[in-house]
Amino acid sequence: MKKAIALTLMVIFIGTGSLLMGGEKLTGLEVMKKVYYRPSPKDMTAELVMTLINSNGDKRVRKIKQYIKDYGKVEKKIMFFIAPADVRNTSFMNWSYDDPNKDDDQWIYLPALKKIKRISSEDKSDYFMGSDFTYDDLGNRLPEEDNHKILREEKLNGEDCYVIESTPKDPDYMYSKTITWVVKGKWIGIKRKFYDEDGEFLKELTAEKYENIKGYWILAKVKMHNVQKDHTTIMELKNIKIDTGIPDRMFTERMMKRGVR
Amino acid sequence: MKRIIALISLLILAAGLAAEGVQITGYVRNYTGVLLHGDYDFSIVQNTLNLNFELKSDKVAFKVNPYVYQYFDRDNVFDIREAYLDLYFNTMDVRIGKQQIIWGKADGVFITDIISPKDLTEFLLRDFDEIRMGVTAAKVDYYMGNSTMEFVWVPIFSPNKMAKEGSIWHPAMELPPNTTFDFSKKDVAFNLKNSEIFAKFSTLTGPVDFEVMAGYTWDADPTLFTEKEMDPLSHQLLSITVIPQYNRLTVFGGSFSTTIKGFVLRGEAAYYMGKYFQTTDPAVPSGVSEKNYLHYLIGLDYSIWGAKVSAQFIQKIIFDYDPMLTLPEHHNMMTLLISKQYLNNTLTVELFSYVGLTDEDALIRPKITYSFADGFDIQVGANIFTGSRGMFGRFHDNDMVYTKIRYSF
Repeated sequence: MKKAIALTLMVIFIGTGSLLMGGEKLTGLEVMKKVYYRPSPKDMTAELVMTLINSNGDKRVRKIKQYIKDYGKVEKKIMFFIAPADVRNTSFMNWSYDDPNKDDDQWIYLPALKKIKRISSEDKSDYFMGSDFTYDDLGNRLPEEDNHKILREEKLNGEDCYVIESTPKDPDYMYSKTITWVVKGKWIGIKRKFYDEDGEFLKELTAEKYENIKGYWILAKVKMHNVQKDHTTIMELKNIKIDTGIPDRMFTERMMKRGVR
Repeated sequence: MKRIIALISLLILAAGLAAEGVQITGYVRNYTGVLLHGDYDFSIVQNTLNLNFELKSDKVAFKVNPYVYQYFDRDNVFDIREAYLDLYFNTMDVRIGKQQIIWGKADGVFITDIISPKDLTEFLLRDFDEIRMGVTAAKVDYYMGNSTMEFVWVPIFSPNKMAKEGSIWHPAMELPPNTTFDFSKKDVAFNLKNSEIFAKFSTLTGPVDFEVMAGYTWDADPTLFTEKEMDPLSHQLLSITVIPQYNRLTVFGGSFSTTIKGFVLRGEAAYYMGKYFQTTDPAVPSGVSEKNYLHYLIGLDYSIWGAKVSAQFIQKIIFDYDPMLTLPEHHNMMTLLISKQYLNNTLTVELFSYVGLTDEDALIRPKITYSFADGFDIQVGANIFTGSRGMFGRFHDNDMVYTKIRYSF
């Protein structure tokens, strides 16, 4: 299983066009498995711009350059923080493993301390960098961890979608249910509603822009709106490059300290 | 006036360099502290300008970090923390110039982290990037996959910087009458023989990260040798001359960190050879005795309920111990850090504390930081010293509250 933060952003951002035979009848679990097990690119480079908007409309912008490479049993990712100014030159590296019993290895380089620190994996219910995304939202949740039901099929933004209700098997999970709009054939979720532990509507994720690059469907811009806090996060990927053959030396102590131009 | 001209020149230079593609970053900060005893004197009112000029390319890079501390009650400081050039080769990097070099896995404690001397003019209260001073050095890193071999040559010895007499951070010394100081042996001559050299092998892997290091260095604090003049008839002490002198140290050490079931376990140790300790033994005329000692740490970090918790146990052990030494054979200390973020990471509440187990003293440092806007932080905190002796207890009159307002750009 690819673990939580390792696939940060990739899971929600990347899907691939696989063929669906006409007239095929799928169960909710099968639809979610198609989303989970779709092929993914070997590597990806992109600039992530994350805009946080509070209820007063005040905006905060975080800019990150990230490199992700799948080695099969391990996936390595390195993020270089560009903005805001007080976190510039900070870098973060994550190695996540296929082995479900193995925690991610994570390191952070803090330029003020000039030191690379190994850090413990975040709690999956923690929010990523003050955004409205938890680490779990950004990670790769196994389809078998939820019960899935197809509520209906409907068009959304001109796309034929399955509307899937997923309820967790673990009663202590942070969401009581989610409802996801999965595009038929592309196998990407373009909208998801999250309900909190009390069953109240908590937040909504919508895909604002998606495109096909080298055969992979990329959600280039997504918005998460927390209706309870009236707080919004917009994540946008820019200058996306796929399967460019990122060298192995990118995921090392040397690059964490050196940073990117 | 010269400093003002230098500052204006710097700003003009900055404008020119920006046009050349040099990245200019930095911060402006006001730091105001008030003592909680007596007349509530201001312990510090400091305005800071810190600039970083950086240029990075595939083959070369440079960084220059000038800074200004402006005070109302003491001399302003205008200095350069770092100024270095980087050369990037295929499997090797070379850095030459004034630079901060940080080793080890410890937080807030210096064990194998002995290359950059410390600016202790405000004890340990400054941010760590301000405590560590740059050293003029040549550093070579040779990379082998996830491992690195690092060599450092420091041709010019720089000692720790201590608070001057009159400062609230100047440690009080109880000296007998008729004590004089002889500083004639304090300087370390600038020659090749007096160089410092260090080597480190480090590796970063999934299961464990570790470093192994060695150094032939100078003790960054001077040893206070004494010469006593006795009355030959009465054997009464007539006078004492204190002769500060820096001494060579040989150090071997290492550190590691690993993850165990969500915990990060860290350790660091160094064995110091050639350290001089003060002794009260009248049979030792120099007043100091040379001993080897071990300094080590075990630390544990964990995330729970969204909070980061970190604890460290630190011990110093003097070998071949002599009960006449002024320091104990075992000196134990702990640190504790609890930190949590609220309001979409705009509000950070933190408590960091050093606890002296041997001296029953502590430095407790709570602080709250609010990010008013991107890059603009307001911090309110306190430094509370408990106990009456030891590294922290001796500053028990220096409890303070402070604010730091900082804009990063």
